[in-house]
Amino acid sequence: MLSLLQSLFKPDFLFAVLRITAPILFATLAAVVAERAGVVNIGLEGMMMITALFGFLFSYWTQSWVLGVLGAIMVGVLLGLMMGFFALKLKTDIILAGIAINMLGAGGTIFMLNMFTGLRGNTGNLVSPNLLIPTIQIPLINKIPILGEILSGHAVLTYVAFLCVFLVWILIYKTPIGLNIRAVGENPDAASSVGVSVLKIKYIAIGISGGLAGLGGAFMSMYYSQGWNSGMVAGRGFIALAAQAMGRGEPVGAMLSSLLFGLAQALRTKVSGLQGVSSFLVSMIPYAATLLGLVAYSISLKRKARKHVIKVVKN
Amino acid sequence: MRDKRMTMFNMLRGAAAIALALGVGAIFIFLSSDEPLTALRYLLIGPIVSFRDSGVSFNAQYLFQIFAGMIPITFTGLAVCVMFSANQFNLAAEGCVLAGGFVGGILGVYLNINSGWHAVVCVLVATVVGGLIMLIPALLKVKLGSSEMVTSLMLNFIILYIAMHYLNFHFADRSKGSTMTYPFKPTAIIPSLVPGNSKMTVGIIVALLATVLIAFFMYRTRWGYSIRMIGINESFSLYSGMKVGSTIVLAQVIGGMLAGMGGSLEVLGRYQTYLWRDLPGYGWVGITIAILAKNNPAFVPLAAFFIAYLNKGCLLMSTYCDVPVEMIDIIQAAIFLFFAAEQFMSGFRQKLVVKTTREDLMKLETQRRLEGGSNNA
Repeated sequence: MLSLLQSLFKPDFLFAVLRITAPILFATLAAVVAERAGVVNIGLEGMMMITALFGFLFSYWTQSWVLGVLGAIMVGVLLGLMMGFFALKLKTDIILAGIAINMLGAGGTIFMLNMFTGLRGNTGNLVSPNLLIPTIQIPLINKIPILGEILSGHAVLTYVAFLCVFLVWILIYKTPIGLNIRAVGENPDAASSVGVSVLKIKYIAIGISGGLAGLGGAFMSMYYSQGWNSGMVAGRGFIALAAQAMGRGEPVGAMLSSLLFGLAQALRTKVSGLQGVSSFLVSMIPYAATLLGLVAYSISLKRKARKHVIKVVKN
Repeated sequence: MRDKRMTMFNMLRGAAAIALALGVGAIFIFLSSDEPLTALRYLLIGPIVSFRDSGVSFNAQYLFQIFAGMIPITFTGLAVCVMFSANQFNLAAEGCVLAGGFVGGILGVYLNINSGWHAVVCVLVATVVGGLIMLIPALLKVKLGSSEMVTSLMLNFIILYIAMHYLNFHFADRSKGSTMTYPFKPTAIIPSLVPGNSKMTVGIIVALLATVLIAFFMYRTRWGYSIRMIGINESFSLYSGMKVGSTIVLAQVIGGMLAGMGGSLEVLGRYQTYLWRDLPGYGWVGITIAILAKNNPAFVPLAAFFIAYLNKGCLLMSTYCDVPVEMIDIIQAAIFLFFAAEQFMSGFRQKLVVKTTREDLMKLETQRRLEGGSNNA
């Protein structure tokens, strides 16, 4: 137990937390952008699976990881627009449209991998180091003793993930599109009455959401698990929905709750190395933590609402 | 006239959506297969016939296998119908099937009852466990307002890992190569209805009975009415004095019970030991079925038959041709998207409505003219 505690304060553990957080953060930001426009994107899980596959395939076909990542983003945007087309134009329930994407992500990816490469279930021997997202050493910072070990040497996309928190914040709060997204999410009728095209804004939001999910997918297959396999995303898209709710739809809140889930997942890898611990119960940690986090969040929300009512009544 | 046309239109639209979904499937078959026509033949008529040199002949055993395949998905279809009717997007049917199968299976191994009641007890306990599990997302939703969708998704994984933990560390038969329990006692096994290896068990009868019960419950009882009303308009139901909270809990608990029952019937009917090591996927198929049945329990067996048929077709296609069995997911996703699309073929509906209205007006006009004419005379 003591050794476990000690290992938690080592730089490599915190390094792992950042690495594990990155894909969840991408997905959570994707959920944030969609949610702010009033769209529940439950299809994130499937979007990540599909973009992970295509990101890897594009990088394999072009032998360039940059094109792979761009391809994943493109596929993500297309998936988002497809979901938007069915949900907004043909009026399929958005949750059902999302579940359909998840089905494509679960089985359709295995089918497509087989169709394109003849392989079953994982990309196996197609993987080579030059197809994967490279890591970078940040000059100066990597010289700082402990901080350098934690912050430097991550994959490019890990930094992009945290950069995206800032970018999404700018998008939502500092751009005209962001203003429209918030307006549409909070009150579509009011937005439409002042001439905002609700449909267009929703398409844009869900497209951006898909693109962010694409970054998450690319991170998964092209760095995290070094190749694509069928059980790879393992509920991260769903965890992202919970993280979005806990982060109250704020980019920074999303980052904090993603870090919490990243921590839970990193803890799982640490604990599973210990003797006499059931690996299955350890595997449960991220999901149980998410559930508990959500419950705690709901309780706090309820309390706040009650306090608010009391205040209003007193006044 | 109008109602009849609209019914016709709805049926046509459903058929078109399914045809379109199969069309999407066919495109992928042509893209991926070297012998697409053979593959299509297996998908579309393979499930009920056998191909021989002398020609094609009906295969009853295959039909029984389709009926066997209907058992778990009829239950999850009903479960999703009830929950979605109350507008509760609870997705934990998946986990409840696994939990029901696991609990039923363990009781099937360790319980000592020397009669047919053994199986009954296993299934009933699994049913109760399914219901209890669903209390978690239901109560969290009603008491705290947490989204049942997210909590139920997390619950699926939690159930999976808890079952895996107990399977591996407490109930596993270590003499076997892969992780499974000791074999079920003969008294716990759900008996088969027909000779052969089709696995068409008493479960299918229970499934049909459950369909009748749930259809009655949803359309002929006060509770069922409340569930549907809450699904249509929750605020209205609240203001008209319905117990919205307890009805929402009830809908989800019933969903969990059905899923648990289906899981145990499947495990005790199809296998000799409990061996699921991953979520079985029946909960998601249940959603497809609920969509096809338009949340009406009475249509669930029909939709389940259709999906079981397609499933069998995809299985045959992957066995005898070069098309992966995951084809079924692509077809299901397409069904999801088109069948649930309210605006799909809306232009055609618009024309139909205009045409019907015009005809009605014309009729009224001629009638009035005739009446006017007779008055003048």
